[in-house]
Amino acid sequence: MTEQEIIKLTNQVFEESFEIEKEKLKPEMNIFQDLGLDSLDIVDLVVALQNKFGVKIRNDDRIKNIRTLGDIYKFVLSLKAEGASPSL
Amino acid sequence: MKRVVITGLGAVSPLGTDVPALMQGIEEGKSAVRYMDGWNQYTGLRSLVGAPAKVVNEKLIPRTIRRSMGRMSIFSVQAADQAFADSGINREMISSGRIGCIVGSTMGSSQSLNDAFELMLPEKDLTCLPAMKFFQCVSHTAAMNVAHYLGLTGYVMATSAACASGLQAVGAGYDLIRLGKQDAMLCGGAEELHPTVTGSFDILFATSANFNHEPEKTPRPFDANRDGLVCGEGSGILLLEEYEHAVERKARIYAEIIGYHTCGSGVHVSQSNKDSIIGCFRHALKDAGIGPEDVDYINAHATATIHGDKEEAEAIREVFGGFVPVSSLKGYIGHTLGASGSIELIASLIMMDKECIYPTRNLESVSHDCEGIYHVMNKLNKKINILFKNCFAFGGINASIVCKKLK
Repeated sequence: MTEQEIIKLTNQVFEESFEIEKEKLKPEMNIFQDLGLDSLDIVDLVVALQNKFGVKIRNDDRIKNIRTLGDIYKFVLSLKAEGASPSL
Repeated sequence: MKRVVITGLGAVSPLGTDVPALMQGIEEGKSAVRYMDGWNQYTGLRSLVGAPAKVVNEKLIPRTIRRSMGRMSIFSVQAADQAFADSGINREMISSGRIGCIVGSTMGSSQSLNDAFELMLPEKDLTCLPAMKFFQCVSHTAAMNVAHYLGLTGYVMATSAACASGLQAVGAGYDLIRLGKQDAMLCGGAEELHPTVTGSFDILFATSANFNHEPEKTPRPFDANRDGLVCGEGSGILLLEEYEHAVERKARIYAEIIGYHTCGSGVHVSQSNKDSIIGCFRHALKDAGIGPEDVDYINAHATATIHGDKEEAEAIREVFGGFVPVSSLKGYIGHTLGASGSIELIASLIMMDKECIYPTRNLESVSHDCEGIYHVMNKLNKKINILFKNCFAFGGINASIVCKKLK
């Protein structure tokens, strides 16, 4: 899976689960202030990312540091580098 | 005690997404009962009919508010919005703490409950559960979502008494306002059609199973060929208001609530009981300060079960005799369960307004065990000064409410 594919699939999660327009999905966007997510949405974001990428990340402490969409791209890329999931 | 009037109505029903659509469907004698595609995959489900309501315009509800809603909450929020707008109450009152809501249902969203179990149980893995499933599944999901959507800061409660939930909500709101605890309350019920819901009645042989290929011919309240209930869905919400408050703002008043009673039978968890229904009727009449001869119309619970219709007919015969017109609306919209009391009360208030009584659809030949009461079998033009609405529920629960037209 390439970086571009990860970005595409992550953006799909934001469009499908949080109804955010494609034009707003830029790496520098803060997922709370700019994209309007709250703490409950983060639970659903984790479930959606797990489903999209076939990973288990619910207990991964790095989630707490995520602020921007770019942080999510990097997080998923790091999972790929670690070989966290066979589907990556 | 303060007086309580009804000043706003809202409904999403199997016949349409608002009160005019509901009444137009009834006026035209339409049935909303359909053959339910896909239900035949459930082994042992005999009843393959239902009365579904359409979810429309749900995206008008902002996502962060909509995310905690299953179908039934969307129905109830839309119905509450209609009732609130119909009442004309100033939106500034919403945050006063003097207006709240009571919305009842049998349980939380049946589709969401089903989804949650399907996600969690195969691997017994809780990490698959989205955060919002809980809020869609809880028993007060409709009340919670109505309050959240409108920003209500008064009482927020949920009655949960199966098919009496909606009427109990109206009764509880009536009590709160007449005790002076609140100035206005949005009250009613909500329910969601799902094969597991119909299935829970089906395994008790309480559903209609003989008309799967002629769905419009069922349910058949009080009829000789009735064979059980047909589940429906939707929500009916009424805005109840303290009388002086309504008069002061020159509100349109549909009717005054003058009496209410609810009680348990203490006899059987599933079978209606004539004696306890009679007790409920008499307490409601006493609460209203009227006699049975003062009632102009009875909107029956009558779901078309063999036993339930018989017990209700016998109770009506004993208390009211054979001169008060009686009809059931289940033949048009099915049994909307927790929503039935409020949706059917709304339809009855419109009948009061239009001075006509709509007949029991599918009642062609009165069953011998339901005889002796005045069945309305054709549209009847009649002035309704006082109407009497019944609901009965699993758990041996009875509820009746009395409304009077204001001169």
